[in-house]
Amino acid sequence: RIMPVRWSRYNPSYLEPEVKKESYQKPLEELTEEEREQMELKAVRPIKAAPPTLSSSAFSDPMISKFTNMMMKNGNKVLARSLMSQTLETIKRKQLEKYHKAPENEKETIECNPYVIFHQALKNCQPIIGLSNITRGGKTYQVPVPLTDNRKRFLAMKWLITECRENKHRRTMMPEKLSQELLLAFNNEGPVIKRKHVLHKMAEANRAYAHFRWW
Amino acid sequence: MAAPAYPAWVTRWVSGQWRNKKRPPALRPPRTLALADKVANRREQSTEATCITEMSVMMACWKQNDFNDTPCAEEIRMFYDCVAKAEKERKNQNEDTLSSRGNLPSSKVNKLLRRFPQITRHV
Repeated sequence: RIMPVRWSRYNPSYLEPEVKKESYQKPLEELTEEEREQMELKAVRPIKAAPPTLSSSAFSDPMISKFTNMMMKNGNKVLARSLMSQTLETIKRKQLEKYHKAPENEKETIECNPYVIFHQALKNCQPIIGLSNITRGGKTYQVPVPLTDNRKRFLAMKWLITECRENKHRRTMMPEKLSQELLLAFNNEGPVIKRKHVLHKMAEANRAYAHFRWW
Repeated sequence: MAAPAYPAWVTRWVSGQWRNKKRPPALRPPRTLALADKVANRREQSTEATCITEMSVMMACWKQNDFNDTPCAEEIRMFYDCVAKAEKERKNQNEDTLSSRGNLPSSKVNKLLRRFPQITRHV
């Protein structure tokens, strides 16, 4: 019987699997010293099994997989993945429509690749500075604090998903609403960007408490 | 009558020295007058917040440009660099060496003292 366990059960000596094809096609001479050491280590140590979400195909993207996992509800990965692909398709359709309607000189400025739009939109949504609760002398203050990369990505994705789930008409489908939000975020407009600006404004208002940090 | 020469104890008595004010100290605490093998627990002073200047510069830039990120890209990059440096500094600093203020935390001092205790008995 398999017991659910929070952390990994692997021995610490197990290494992560290397999935990218390019790293195996490099000739021996081009590798740096540390890469050679890594290769020798891999020949001796055992390697963990690759999880099913990790793939070596050119079409897989770790950010998109993370976003799909965050959209997933009750483990329904099939539904989440189909929603994600429909979103990307809607983005492509909208951009192509704009492209064919635009005059000749503007055709280069319109971005049609949905992956590029997704990445740029997420990057535009990431907050630069966050607030954390620090208690001093009985009172809790909101102190502006730098965030790690993981936390920024998580916040951007979370804001997008909550925005799409809550502020939409009952009959709009998730792909359509998500594509709308992603296109707005790509142009630095929209409610998610506004939420990011609100956070920045609060951090700016509380900048006097920045000295309460101890890290 | 010249200045009357009283014995020293008379002057001292008259001045009230012996009444509680300047008695020779009677040693009340019977603790042994020797160094113990541990230091008192001192609250480790917290380090200061890092990257405040970069943050304030970035916020001034935001205020001028209505919180857009594109005109402030340079300040934001400097802030990120400072944060990365501070993070690396924190990871690399080893607590076994002296901290930035030149003091060891009391737990480390106690560990060292326990390894080399004071010898109280000789055989």
